[in-house]
Amino acid sequence: MKIEVFAILKDYFKKEFEIADQLDTIADLKQHLIAINPSSVEVLSRCRFAVEDDFVVDSYKITRNDNIMIIPPSSGG
Amino acid sequence: MKYITEEPIDLVGMLQETHHPAAGAIVLFSGEVRDHNGGKSVAYLEYESQISMASKMIALILEEAKSRWNLTIATAQHRIGKVKVCESAVVVLTASPHRTEAYASNRYIIDRIKHEVPIWKCEYFTDGTKEWGGNCNCHKETGDVNKHIYESENP
Repeated sequence: MKIEVFAILKDYFKKEFEIADQLDTIADLKQHLIAINPSSVEVLSRCRFAVEDDFVVDSYKITRNDNIMIIPPSSGG
Repeated sequence: MKYITEEPIDLVGMLQETHHPAAGAIVLFSGEVRDHNGGKSVAYLEYESQISMASKMIALILEEAKSRWNLTIATAQHRIGKVKVCESAVVVLTASPHRTEAYASNRYIIDRIKHEVPIWKCEYFTDGTKEWGGNCNCHKETGDVNKHIYESENP
């Protein structure tokens, strides 16, 4: 799966990267990301996840070719 | 309509396009970059967005507001990239037969853009530091990153 992060998350992860491990759900992905960078735990707890431009829930089943975007809390305006 | 732009927002042009024979009221809100925040002197802001998602979400928010308040016109544009002090970062225009609906819907639209749409600001201060800031913290009260507290509904 390909991961793309935005805004403050770029202080914790590369802008875009791939994860080769098979992970079942978004909840699993969160744990995987926290394991990569434990300091991201607080910010990740506030993020939404999206696949192909649609928000998905923690129980969403990830497929191998998914492009997953991690969306921090909005701060427009 | 381009909802996300890297160019300076053309407020006058947007206002001109909002005049309509059925509209007795137009409200124009401009969110501007101010020179201070949290006691620090701001040099400029830089905005980033997930453009395709942000554009779709703004379009949906505008359609919902148009329907809810029976607006004649509703439009909005948010700038990304570097935005200087005194420049507009976001503009929302609402036109309706009477002012009550134009004011209420305008507040609703900017609230939803600020809380929900994937746009982020990074503040650059005159002391050389920077900070991703001003983000929505509603989840602390609602316990859910998808549930927000809107100013327009809690005046």
